[in-house]
Amino acid sequence: MTHAGPGSKSVVLGEDELTATAATPVFDVVVVGAGPAGSAAALEAARAGLSVALVERGPFPGAKNVYGGVVYGRVLDELIPRWWERMPVQRWVTRRSTMVMTPSQALTVDFRTEDWGRPPYNGATAFRADLDGWLAEQAVEAGAVLVTSTVVTGLLKDASGAVAGVRTDRPDGDLRARVVIACDGVNSFLAKEAGMFPDEHQAEHLTLGVKQTLALPRETLEERFAISGRDGVDIEMLGCTRGIPGGGFLYTNLESISLGVVLGLTGVREAKTRPEEILAELKRHPAIAPLIRGGEQIEYSAHLIPEGGYRSMPELAGDGILIAGDAAAMCLAAGIWLEGVNFALGAGMYAGRAAAAAIGAGDTSRRGLAGYRKMLESSFVLADHRRLRDFPGLVLSDRMQRNYPGLVCDLVQGMFQVDNPRPKPGLRRLLRRSAKDNGVRLRDLVRDTWTGMRGLR
Amino acid sequence: MNGPVHTIAVIVVRDGVLPLGADETVAEAGGEALLVGTGVKEAAGELVSLRNGRLAENGLFAPGRWARQLAAVLSRTERILLPSSPDGRDLAPRLAAGLGRPLLPGAIRVTGDGAELARWDDRACVRLAVDGPFVATLRPGARGAAPAGEPAVLTELALPEPDGTPDVTVLEVLDPEPGTVDLAEAPRIFGAGAGLGHGELDGPAVVGLLGRVASVVGASVGATRVVTDAGWTGYQRQIGTTGVVVKPELYVAFGISGAAQHIGGLGAPAHVVSINIDPSCPMTAMADLGIVADAQAVLLELARMLEVRS
Amino acid sequence: MLVAAALRWSDQRASVDPLTGEVRTDARTSGASAADRAALEHALRLAEAFGGRCLAVTVGPPAAEEMLREALAAGAHEVLRIEGPEPGRTVGEDGHDTARLLAAGLPARPDIVVCGDRSADRGTGGTPAFLAHELGACQALGLLELSVEDGRLRALRRLDGGRRERLAVSLPAVCSVEPAGTLLRRAPLPAVLAARRAEVPAVAPVDAASGHGPDGVVRPYRPRPRALPAPAGAEPHQRLLALTGALVERTPPKVLRPPTPAEAARELLDYLRERGYLS
Ligand SMILES: Cc1cc2nc3c(=O)[nH]c(=O)nc-3n(C[C@H](O)[C@H](O)[C@H](O)COP(=O)(O)OP(=O)(O)OC[C@H]3O[C@@H](n4cnc5c(N)ncnc54)[C@H](O)[C@@H]3O)c2cc1C
Ligand SMILES: Cc1cc2nc3c(=O)[nH]c(=O)nc-3n(C[C@H](O)[C@H](O)[C@H](O)COP(=O)(O)OP(=O)(O)OC[C@H]3O[C@@H](n4cnc5c(N)ncnc54)[C@H](O)[C@@H]3O)c2cc1C
Ligand SMILES: Nc1ncnc2c1ncn2[C@@H]1O[C@H](COP(=O)(O)O)[C@@H](O)[C@H]1O
Repeated sequence: MTHAGPGSKSVVLGEDELTATAATPVFDVVVVGAGPAGSAAALEAARAGLSVALVERGPFPGAKNVYGGVVYGRVLDELIPRWWERMPVQRWVTRRSTMVMTPSQALTVDFRTEDWGRPPYNGATAFRADLDGWLAEQAVEAGAVLVTSTVVTGLLKDASGAVAGVRTDRPDGDLRARVVIACDGVNSFLAKEAGMFPDEHQAEHLTLGVKQTLALPRETLEERFAISGRDGVDIEMLGCTRGIPGGGFLYTNLESISLGVVLGLTGVREAKTRPEEILAELKRHPAIAPLIRGGEQIEYSAHLIPEGGYRSMPELAGDGILIAGDAAAMCLAAGIWLEGVNFALGAGMYAGRAAAAAIGAGDTSRRGLAGYRKMLESSFVLADHRRLRDFPGLVLSDRMQRNYPGLVCDLVQGMFQVDNPRPKPGLRRLLRRSAKDNGVRLRDLVRDTWTGMRGLR
Repeated sequence: MNGPVHTIAVIVVRDGVLPLGADETVAEAGGEALLVGTGVKEAAGELVSLRNGRLAENGLFAPGRWARQLAAVLSRTERILLPSSPDGRDLAPRLAAGLGRPLLPGAIRVTGDGAELARWDDRACVRLAVDGPFVATLRPGARGAAPAGEPAVLTELALPEPDGTPDVTVLEVLDPEPGTVDLAEAPRIFGAGAGLGHGELDGPAVVGLLGRVASVVGASVGATRVVTDAGWTGYQRQIGTTGVVVKPELYVAFGISGAAQHIGGLGAPAHVVSINIDPSCPMTAMADLGIVADAQAVLLELARMLEVRS
Repeated sequence: MLVAAALRWSDQRASVDPLTGEVRTDARTSGASAADRAALEHALRLAEAFGGRCLAVTVGPPAAEEMLREALAAGAHEVLRIEGPEPGRTVGEDGHDTARLLAAGLPARPDIVVCGDRSADRGTGGTPAFLAHELGACQALGLLELSVEDGRLRALRRLDGGRRERLAVSLPAVCSVEPAGTLLRRAPLPAVLAARRAEVPAVAPVDAASGHGPDGVVRPYRPRPRALPAPAGAEPHQRLLALTGALVERTPPKVLRPPTPAEAARELLDYLRERGYLS
């Protein structure tokens, strides 16, 4: 057995090792990571009758996984019929707000619909440990073998360089596979190991999410957010990050609130503040403080998010390997959107199918696995990412982060403020004044509006 | 025994040395006690809360055989209390089983009809009522003990001959290791708790560094049970009711929550500092100076300022 | 030679409501405690040393199977689940019922049973002593070391105040071990895979539990007031003053929140200097 090169954790298997020695277990598919992507992939591959191992480093699925808290379940319609009857849900999001704020102002666009509170539903808040556990259970029921507390430390490759399995940190820890599906999350070690990332500039495309869960009695929470039963609220915030590219979010669970901020990694580094401080500041904001008052912190967590979108994705298929979910940067984290779980589920599902098709056809090379990308292209997974490819850049631009929130808030304040005996100012004058005060050139405003419109087209 | 009593404390004595919590258990039993083991008379003199002591010299501790012997003389005593020291923990269940009664283990208080027991690492408490006699073990440090005032009445008690119940053979009793002795005598102690383990240094490394920093101040290193259980340092450094009982003048607690079993072995230091991220933990509450900060980060800074290599 | 490891399935990260005392447990964080894992490691080593078999056993609900699968993967030759009440719910019970169920459910009397020195929930270490009583075995509890020397079982037991005793343990024996320094070996991957598919046998001994273990109300823990020796002083009011410490000079407790670790370290050094611990 020889190593694949300096710094590499890959292991090239010799001829004799490839003729399946009895000691090394062989699976059709080895899925790395039991997050949403991994469990969907394992579920779909096991359903196709393949032997599947789902390897997870945590003591149970979702043990250490972090996210804000809203899942968009539509993609599950295809994977788990009538999922809403069984999924461990905290609340159904029936009220969605976007808040644009400055340190002392906030403009909220608040939308509420009863449609999202009944089948087939739209978004739901759920805890990751519950959700990931439930998804992995579906895969296990379909026949996949879940192996927890086990870290994948490298790839096994055959002489031609094709991926032939994984190495884990357990004694006798090699697992052979016809196809490895890497669902190991952001900053994917496996995708890098397989040489699927085109460049080395991954840090630019990473944001840091920090989140607190604050416990509140159910009645208090429902009263504060004007909801009842299983209805829930989702608030996305812009302009609450001291100019660091990013945004904030607040979601209601049954008896707690998830509150967090998402911050560009380079921005955090340059601003020389700590993410906790930004979050603490948000908690003191006049529009937020009353909502969370008395909430007792029951959890604090931080995690990276790939936000580069379409342009920063790695290659999705290689010889004997597929990449899905955050590992492939399939996360949409741009201000008013924070979606990743739905993309991960979709990508995992297609990866499972593509692996099954390739194994069925007896060709697990890059070519044999090419069906994966085609399925993604014709689904929401890549369609959304392609459409919104310029969005991260826009939402995270300096103007959007530093200038527009102030502009919008000043504009609205000017409109609603009664300055008698002075007459009301005209809208055009207000706009010009607010733009000037906030350092925005109208030319840029027009251009950004256009980019935004195109993104939403 | 001269007439059955309602409640009695059973105290296992080794070479005249009382177990931790002996005085409290006797006080909880209203001053009534049966001292069994070696050097019982000498030990009785040390018990300030004792009113009425029965003394049974009975050789080396053997829980199986002793339980049979004691059951024979205690069958009419309603409540039998033992301290939950190592010997108490071992003897009490055997005694309860021998007498066919329930055991109320780990009590913080004996009530009119049962006991309050600490559970879930002292975070919860269960109140148990039993109708009928019982055996209970009492947590050391839970109640304190006041002197009985009058000198105790002592009577010798002969236990029945032991039967053939199997027991282990004691090969030797080892005195505390140098580390333990040093710690027990140390006037200054830096304590390592679970909270010290969060950071770039792993457990053993951070306790090692704590030791080097402590030595600059002439202090020794102690630890909580969580730390010794995790193997970050030897068990002989564990302070508390199941570890070493110390009596330092200065105690600096790094990431220690201050559980009763830990504080129970701490004596009454004149100066206590607690470094903890939780400002309301018991350790900080009993400190003169509470510093709300990350323990490992503070330690690394101390090492830097005192020029200790980390 | 049969060596059994008795494992208790309980939540290692249970949360207790400080106001109501309500204990919330979660099957996902439930399993064997560090002490029980150390017990299994000792049992595996003893079985190897004596050339015997290692059996991992628990009294617990079906959810405890996961813990037994881990024991199988780590090298136990067999596992057994004895149907019993869910631990945690009956944490008021004294351990005797558990011991009866263990004794009644085991296929044969083990030569050695290794337990953890205390469980996470009940936490009193009584179960092994009851088990010794039930099995007519000798007991060696709260051990720091457990080993085989010249084919005989030797143990080091912790006593009060840092003393220890060295024991020769004859069989059959029930031992309980502290977790200090003993880590359960890591299970090889093929064994983990095999254990995933293994059947976990279960038995339900009839009438083994006496049912006399009382069950009680759970409340938050509150330390009780401590009795103190009466203070010296001739006059009642002097004694009162001494007791309340009203006239004793004492620096009020100070809680600082320094912005940086460096600031915190400086505060600590200042404190030590002021009180003469550091020049
Ligand atoms: C603060 C924050 C808020 C977010 N909010 C939302 C939201 O509200 N809605 C939404 O849809 N998305 C949200 N996201 C994004 C979402 O969490 C991710 O897009 C999603 O979890 C991706 O799923 P995944 O399965 O690809 O990866 P992950 O969920 O990251 O799962 C990867 C799994 O692989 C395991 N693993 C990693 N390496 C190894 C290895 N070497 N060996 C074995 N196992 C390994 C990990 O333990 C993990 O279980 C948020 C993210 C963050 C950080
Ligand atoms: C029968 C019995 C006997 C026992 N005997 C003993 C004994 O003799 N001695 C003993 O010590 N224990 C004993 N225990 C255990 C005792 O109950 C406690 O579990 C133990 O003392 C807790 O140790 P700890 O403070 O290190 O850990 P924890 O209770 O886990 O506390 C950790 C502390 O660190 C803080 N913290 C976390 N992160 C940080 C950070 N980054 N920086 C700073 N602080 C941080 C937390 O706020 C917390 O206060 C016994 C228990 C039982 C049931
Ligand atoms: N339900 C159980 N099943 C198996 N072993 C147990 C059980 N309860 C307790 N034990 C064993 O007894 C030890 C001490 O537990 P306890 O008496 O509850 O403190 C544990 O560490 C286990 O080894």
